[in-house]
Amino acid sequence: MTGIRPELVHTLSLLMIFTSFAAVEARNLRHATVAYLFQALLICGLLLAYATQNEALLYWAATALVTKAILVPWFLWRATAGAEQEEKPLIGFGISAVILIALLAAMYKFTHAHAALFVNVGGELASIAEINLAVAFTVFVLGVYAILTRRDAIKTVIGLCLLENGVHLSLVSLAPTIRETALAGIATEVVVTVYLLLYIIGGIREKFGSTDTFQLSELHW
Amino acid sequence: MPFETASVLPALVVIIPAAAGTLIFIVGRFVGGFREALAVLGSAGALAFSLGIGQAALRGGVLTSFRDQFRADALSALLVVLVSGIGFLATIYSLRYMRHHVQEGGLTHTTTSGRLTAYYGWLMLFISTMLWACLSNNVIMLYVAVEASTIASGLLVAFYWDKRALEAGYKYLMLLTVGITFSLFGCVLVYATGANILGGSKGLLLSELKSVAAMFPKTTVILASAFLIVGFGTKAGVAPFHPWLPDAHAEAPTPISALLSGVMIKVAMYALVRTVSMFYPSFAPVAMFALALGVFTMVIGDLMALAQDDLKRMLAYSSVSQIGYVLMGFGIGTQLGVYAGLFHLLNHALGKALLFFAAGSVIYATGARRISQLGGLSRRMPVTSFCFFVGALAVSGIPPFNGFQSKLALFVAGARAGDWWAVIIGIGTSLITLLVFAKAAKAIFWGQPDSAYAPTVREAPLTVVAAMVILAALCLAIGVYPKSVYPPLKAASAVVQTIKTPTPEMVAKHHNPARAQLRSAAEPCR
Repeated sequence: MTGIRPELVHTLSLLMIFTSFAAVEARNLRHATVAYLFQALLICGLLLAYATQNEALLYWAATALVTKAILVPWFLWRATAGAEQEEKPLIGFGISAVILIALLAAMYKFTHAHAALFVNVGGELASIAEINLAVAFTVFVLGVYAILTRRDAIKTVIGLCLLENGVHLSLVSLAPTIRETALAGIATEVVVTVYLLLYIIGGIREKFGSTDTFQLSELHW
Repeated sequence: MPFETASVLPALVVIIPAAAGTLIFIVGRFVGGFREALAVLGSAGALAFSLGIGQAALRGGVLTSFRDQFRADALSALLVVLVSGIGFLATIYSLRYMRHHVQEGGLTHTTTSGRLTAYYGWLMLFISTMLWACLSNNVIMLYVAVEASTIASGLLVAFYWDKRALEAGYKYLMLLTVGITFSLFGCVLVYATGANILGGSKGLLLSELKSVAAMFPKTTVILASAFLIVGFGTKAGVAPFHPWLPDAHAEAPTPISALLSGVMIKVAMYALVRTVSMFYPSFAPVAMFALALGVFTMVIGDLMALAQDDLKRMLAYSSVSQIGYVLMGFGIGTQLGVYAGLFHLLNHALGKALLFFAAGSVIYATGARRISQLGGLSRRMPVTSFCFFVGALAVSGIPPFNGFQSKLALFVAGARAGDWWAVIIGIGTSLITLLVFAKAAKAIFWGQPDSAYAPTVREAPLTVVAAMVILAALCLAIGVYPKSVYPPLKAASAVVQTIKTPTPEMVAKHHNPARAQLRSAAEPCR
């Protein structure tokens, strides 16, 4: 008996798909920020659910609450002041939805067919990890998708946050007994990266007049 | 046999520049010259303690701090001395160079004092995080330290805060963070598998993981290696993950360019080698993949360098090419190959830092960096032109400079391993490198000077010249007397090679029937 409630973990994990899609597809950057905030709360919930395995995850849950659910959304909220509408993306909602469904199906099939490649935990944790990994990989790829197809620099930062969340979900699923020092390091570097990126994007808006990454063409190979 | 000793040195090497950086941020705005003094002290302190680590490593010692979280073996010691040495020279070089650029450059973002405070503060943190990465024995913290070095250098890349610098800074932070996140996936896989065999937090320690890496399932090895190569390879500037590199290295202030090209990409290469090489004995195709990627990188980098008119951009692409040679050495996978890879890593760090310093000296004197706008500088800047030639010949692999020795070692290692195709491409690419530098040197230092700057051009200040002369002397000294670096390189390459094959007892002890595909025997790499 692991003490983990699988149905709770599965629900929280699957909700991450919806919040990821909302964060990528919301044209209003503040709405996207709110979607990201909800995802951060889901990550905290997942960490708390896993904390029965490892008390260190309680610290990580607290760190994630401060960094992912408070600081990052606050930075994003400030960065979008006065420019809430996203630059028109390369790929619209309909195609994105189809891509998401295909992605989720592919990841589910992949992680279940090759679970032994990744999952080194035993028993009930293994079956939980299989679903989590499918979700984690989907969130990760959605983050990469956002970075590649969104023209707005702030939206690419949201994509980066999603990508990191995907890795963090896989980390807690594959290695729930990891030590708190490693977890604190990972959580802290994300928030600092986001802060610095948004600081530079502020400079880009000041010099280029917008946050459209298509205008960043001063440097050619 | 290496002997392990608990020591404060590894911790101090990281803490001293970090503390100097923090102090600079706190008091730098209020006490002008204090920030420069603190930066020099911080980098000198790191160098002094790094030399202590190097000395211990030469005696066969392994120093550990914080319950084995920091671990300085011969490989770490080599990198730590290199990072702190070039870090110290970059700090000295910055003293006049940055003041000149901040005062002359019309920076309006904040006050001059504030800009210099930010510069030296981030510089110290940048050096500290690179040292941390070289000393971390924790596989997850290795990723954290490598990413921290990206964070610490992000604002340095965007330092000039104009359109070009901001674009370079955005691409640098975004592309590297995405790339390095792949390596976190790799680190997580390695830890999760290793912890299952070793049990508990031992699975986090690189020194423990390498002893059981041969027991990892083959498919896990493939996946983890792919993630690690993409992740750390992106930061190392390995093609095709290199597009961030020319932008960042060209737009950053020159001392930072020297650090990025000279040591930062080497730290990422170190992280790649430290993690991926543990799979060499059990899964040789990983080494072959690294060799192919290295050869591809060296060719792409040099072809791109040939097409550049921007001096710093040309040097940046040349770094891509040379990191390909380093990867070639590690890809050959034999002890001589690893030795040659480390030798070239050392030589390129010295040569490329020297070339960036010389380029900075030219920019300092003329304000121009387009090769087509420069000319006839050899008479007015004799030391700079001499140092540029030394760096160019060293990186091109021409005797009697250090690059010749390491490239020769690489080609011999490749030939002995039967990788003739890589050797032939490597020699051909070296000729392209020579062509790139001959073309640039002729355009910059010979011919007639541009009338726009000719009357005012004179040699760069003492601190700039001193940093160049020290590096030029090292390039020549190692080239003439390569035996001087043989002991540390031999010890460092032995660390990469001393991956123990699991004994039958170890396999039996750790064997878990539920974990399929444990490898009971390891095959030699080649």
